[in-house]
Amino acid sequence: MYIVIAGAGRLGLVLAKKLKEDRHQVCLIDKHEGLCNRLARELKDILIIWGDATYPEILKEAKIHKARVCVSATSSDEDNIIIANLAKELFGTKRTVARVNDPKHLSLYKYMDVDNPVDSTSIIARVVEEEASFTDVMTLLSIKKGRLSIVRVDIPPDSPVVNKTLTEVQLPPNSVLVSILRGPDIIIPSGSTKIYPDDEIIAATLIDAEKDLIKALIGKI
Amino acid sequence: MKYIVIVGCGRTGAELARDLSPSANVVIIDKNLKALDSLGEDFNGKKVWGDGLDLHTLEEAEIKQAHALFLLTGNDNLNLVVGKVVKRRYQVPRVILQVNDVVKEKIFREAGLTIVNRTSLLIDVLKKYIT
Repeated sequence: MYIVIAGAGRLGLVLAKKLKEDRHQVCLIDKHEGLCNRLARELKDILIIWGDATYPEILKEAKIHKARVCVSATSSDEDNIIIANLAKELFGTKRTVARVNDPKHLSLYKYMDVDNPVDSTSIIARVVEEEASFTDVMTLLSIKKGRLSIVRVDIPPDSPVVNKTLTEVQLPPNSVLVSILRGPDIIIPSGSTKIYPDDEIIAATLIDAEKDLIKALIGKI
Repeated sequence: MKYIVIVGCGRTGAELARDLSPSANVVIIDKNLKALDSLGEDFNGKKVWGDGLDLHTLEEAEIKQAHALFLLTGNDNLNLVVGKVVKRRYQVPRVILQVNDVVKEKIFREAGLTIVNRTSLLIDVLKKYIT
């Protein structure tokens, strides 16, 4: 597959190398001349183009009409949006992916029809939060603008559901238990499955039932 | 009184704000505090210090009530993105934006957006002297 990446910063560069390893054809565009010269010397099998990718002639030079995906990964949110728009509207690129630098700008990417805005700051914050385990509850995925969420709940020893089977556990309406992670095992539960301390429960819940679900599983909020 | 929002307090933005403020309610946004200070103490419009790309800043400037939005930062891409988003999201009757690059001016032309290009304007004026 041919992929054009605008912005050869840390993200653009790592991505380009990675895609190259997976045998994709890659073109990297950056507006810094010195950087481009160095990259052209170092990376023989990646096409390097020096120029501002928010100008159509630069995208044309990168043969973006042949690309299946355009990734805009510059450090400027307005530039990333414009690049994605140009790729799509002028060159018919099927899929546009863009790096969101400031989470406050995420809504702009959506209004401007960027297919896949990637809000790296929020993603990293979520990973760090999970690693640090500030809470016993973690939202893994939120769907339909947060109306439906998939959550992970760690069951503490003093939870009211410990040593109970699922039939005995009262879950609030609009929530469903999807899976139990117990050590290395993944259990798809049935009515007779018992919950033990330190189980990690994966559940799907509508946003307004989330609090009640957590209360039912942990006993407090 | 008309309610006018201006993003970008550079030479054009500041001059326009000063010019309009006696006869309209003017709000001017810039991310640089010094630029806003340059308007002087007798400027009777509202100054908002913030990022024009952040919709919260625009809402703080009460963009929903605006009769017109002027995007006059020196950054073509920012002016274009904010102009298009505001047009899609808020029903601001007039959105006027400055774009320095002639190529982009043509590509992003869209109903309801007025794109002003300094070079094209100047050329039009200059040409009048030889006809």
